[in-house]
Amino acid sequence: MTQTMLEPVSPSPAPKPEPAPVVEHKRRRTLPSAIGEPMVWLTGGALTICLTMIVLLFTMVIINGTTTFWPRPIERLELLSGEIVLGIETQHEKATRETEDRTLYRVGNRDIGQQSYRWINDSDVVERTTPEDAVMLEREAWGVWLGIPDQILRADPLAEEPEIIAQGSGAYFEAFDELHAQARADRDEVEQLKKKELGRINSKMARARLNVQQAEIDAARDETELYRFSTPVWVGLAFLALGCIGCLIRFKNYGTEMGSPVARQGKLLRASASMVFLALVTALWVGSPWAGSDLTESDIAMMNAQLLEREQVLQEQYDEVLTRIREIEEYDATLRVSVIEPTSDQFAPTSQTLADQHLHMSQIVRQVRPNTMGFGEKLGVYLSRWWEYLSTFPREANTEGGVYPVIMGTVLLTLLLTIVVTPMGVIAALYLREYAKQGLVTSMIRIAVNNLAGVPSIVYGVFGLGFFCYTVGSYVDVGPSESTRMAVGNWWTLLVVSTMVLIGAIATRLWSKPNPGKLPSAMNIALQRFSWLIWAVGVICVVMLVAGTPYFHGMFEARSSSGTPTFGARGLLWASLTLALLTLPVVIVATEEAIAAVPNSMREGSYGCGASKWQTMRRIVLPGALPGICTGAILAMARGAGEVAPLMLVGAVKLNQDLPIDSEAPFLHADRSFMHLGFHIYDLGFQSPDSQAARPLVWTTTLLFLSIVFALNLIAIVLRSKIRSRMAGPTV
Amino acid sequence: MTTMDTPHKNQNSDSGMSRTVAYEPKGIAKTANYKVIDAIRNGEVPEPTVHPSVQAPDAVIDVQNFNLYYNQHAKALFDIRMKVPRGAVTALIGPSGCGKSTLLRSINRMNDLIDGVRVEGEITLNRSPIYAPSVDVIELRKRLGMVFQKPNPFPMSIFENVVYPLRIDGERRKSVLEEACEKSLRAAAIWDEVKDRLKSSALGLSGGQQQRLCIARAIVADPEVLLLDEPCSALDPVATLKIEELINEISERYTVLIVTHNMQQAARVSDYTAFMYLGRLVEYGPTAQIFQKPKLIETEHYVSGRFG
Repeated sequence: MTQTMLEPVSPSPAPKPEPAPVVEHKRRRTLPSAIGEPMVWLTGGALTICLTMIVLLFTMVIINGTTTFWPRPIERLELLSGEIVLGIETQHEKATRETEDRTLYRVGNRDIGQQSYRWINDSDVVERTTPEDAVMLEREAWGVWLGIPDQILRADPLAEEPEIIAQGSGAYFEAFDELHAQARADRDEVEQLKKKELGRINSKMARARLNVQQAEIDAARDETELYRFSTPVWVGLAFLALGCIGCLIRFKNYGTEMGSPVARQGKLLRASASMVFLALVTALWVGSPWAGSDLTESDIAMMNAQLLEREQVLQEQYDEVLTRIREIEEYDATLRVSVIEPTSDQFAPTSQTLADQHLHMSQIVRQVRPNTMGFGEKLGVYLSRWWEYLSTFPREANTEGGVYPVIMGTVLLTLLLTIVVTPMGVIAALYLREYAKQGLVTSMIRIAVNNLAGVPSIVYGVFGLGFFCYTVGSYVDVGPSESTRMAVGNWWTLLVVSTMVLIGAIATRLWSKPNPGKLPSAMNIALQRFSWLIWAVGVICVVMLVAGTPYFHGMFEARSSSGTPTFGARGLLWASLTLALLTLPVVIVATEEAIAAVPNSMREGSYGCGASKWQTMRRIVLPGALPGICTGAILAMARGAGEVAPLMLVGAVKLNQDLPIDSEAPFLHADRSFMHLGFHIYDLGFQSPDSQAARPLVWTTTLLFLSIVFALNLIAIVLRSKIRSRMAGPTV
Repeated sequence: MTTMDTPHKNQNSDSGMSRTVAYEPKGIAKTANYKVIDAIRNGEVPEPTVHPSVQAPDAVIDVQNFNLYYNQHAKALFDIRMKVPRGAVTALIGPSGCGKSTLLRSINRMNDLIDGVRVEGEITLNRSPIYAPSVDVIELRKRLGMVFQKPNPFPMSIFENVVYPLRIDGERRKSVLEEACEKSLRAAAIWDEVKDRLKSSALGLSGGQQQRLCIARAIVADPEVLLLDEPCSALDPVATLKIEELINEISERYTVLIVTHNMQQAARVSDYTAFMYLGRLVEYGPTAQIFQKPKLIETEHYVSGRFG
């Protein structure tokens, strides 16, 4: 362009140039591989298949999960053999080589010795009707009872013959609702009394006993081996500890000016003073001449006498409550119902062993009469069944009743694990990204962390059981075991040694950094390599010091000595720690990415304003990375909530009547085992004694599990978007 | 960030030269004798041409025989000697990679953040040394305000952005913060635009407004010198004009050191101009002289766009 413009324009007429021959550009053929259309179809198809499978999964869970509680009609079947069966159709099967067309009926009535589900060939059925007065009783025990109501009885224990309150199904239905509500209210009261009052008295009693037991153990302990300071030595050491504080205050500003030639010495001085102070405090604490039990035998005897008195008082209270319970139960037992099964003409019994006694009214959780119900009534039953499912404890080996403790266990576990894993992961990522020198070691750590995410989760379960439950847990319970407990002399030596090693580690660390503005010298580099080793030795020393102390005998010694470990067994705390470990890589990776994504211009801007590294991190980097950190926490939560395998090892149980959270101090009982939805599904599906009855519940529980995980995630995502919008504001 | 002077860079500017020659057949460049530039390209450190009027004794910043190495092989600044006069706007110009940003960042020691940077020589700020071992970098940076190439408001409210330097000093009194905020927003000529939405996010402002906000943030703590690192290079002409007007206003109260690529900008806003090349100071004098009657032919050609 420029060349042509600069060319002088000559006025003289130039000879007309010959027209340039038209150059035929040979077009190259488009290769078949260049045509992308098949790939569009292929990729689109793959996506469709994935989506279809996901949609199918959710549809199946939702349909099966939501229809479980819908009341279905009771059919009365007359068979060729003359037998009459009441049943609810649950499944129909087309003929195969071995079988004819047949239908699976839920016939209930397990307590009179029949299977609660029964296949009936369609050709065997002579007549099929839906009788209006057929009812399904959902009972506290023994599953459902299908039958035709006959009577309501008042069986006065004094009278020979029971008084008949209602005779015939018409009268029965009229009288049922009111009497049932009354009977259930009484039963609820009994349950409350049993659980709250009796439980409270029981735990008081147990605590009183444990206190005395602990005192006995303390008094009986042979403490001759444990070294304790004499009072003057102790006072002298206390003054030394005060001297350390004085030293810290005196040399607070020593070498703190920038570039001071004694900067390292100052830091070392303060660090050493702190270390010595810590060691002295430990020594003063464990070696205190006033430590240990000074209870004599007569003291113990007195405590035992007090305990007896207390027990007597509590026992009286206990009996009082028990009498009240008996009274209600006796009255309750008088009201009976007679619901007759047509097959054997038998009425519903109180229990399998009391087959000649009519069913208590209060044993009926719910009576459903589906054949005469309108849509509204059915909906009512449906919702009340859902409510029962969500709010009550399981019955009948988990196949009936609710999953309230399971929900609580799952939610608590997930929250605890998130609370533990998020700060841990964020701190680790912060160091790795902002403080650590980027190099081979950090790369290796990063790779290791990423690989940790791929370790099979059951491995974490094994680790959790072995390390948290049995090692750490039993340490908390009864202190170091015989094999790890150190001899007293060794322990004191180790205390001195580890203090010195830590001071040495700090010193090497300080002198491993080059002088300001200078390149690291050979000595610096050598010390740098060395200091890691000393740090490691120091940390190991401190761990040994804590793990092997002969002065610690556990926080729950009395309870453990009676054979019930507190933290030394599977429980909520260890399960959430195990899952926290499992999800740690997720948080670290997400946080690291979020921190790296904070633009450097922000950091520079902050430094330019005179902010220090920590201020920049706290005010700019962390807030900027917060949405990313939240994402990490959400991912960890989702991963942790869905994990079952490790839980089977570290704390999830089939059935637990004690919630891990209740109104008794300390409110959150992290030592208790818990129920978990994932494990519950497994238990229902594969461990249940009545798998046919449990099958619909498997779907419902799956639906519930999905919804809870979804809800937890949703809450976290909403929180994150709130944070994000507050941070970012409108972008132009 | 400035790049280092590698041989590769040298060759690049050589080929640029030859294009310039071809561009103007009768050009001066062909006959011009780039004595200083050639010497620099040969690795020498020629004596800079400094006009006597900038040798004033009252310099805010005094760069004394300053050398900077990014690592053992990459030296970025060569024996810079330069006095920045008080209460004026001084511009640093020069082609990419000439070390002007590096020099600017050496003044508030932002280069400390880069691993392996080593310096020789000294810079003084109001006669106190910057590189002495006793200097607290954090304290030093508080004495200087800095504005960067790209507007970098923090993801917080406008108010919090402006008072950030005070917040990190632990200032909590609301009245003090509000007063300082208004004062510096007015000084940065943005008060009227944002006074009704101080609580809304600073990221919602336009680029020009963001940059003025950054200037407000840089002057809120009353710095001794304001360092501007190509403050208009990411802005459109209208926003650039506003910033330039702002620089003129601010220069009544602050000493300003500005790095710019834009020669017109240097001519418009600055009182003094320093021309740098490959980490060396080439010519330094009053802007009017540098642009109209420079002592070196290289400077004349550079400011008129015929070389560089």
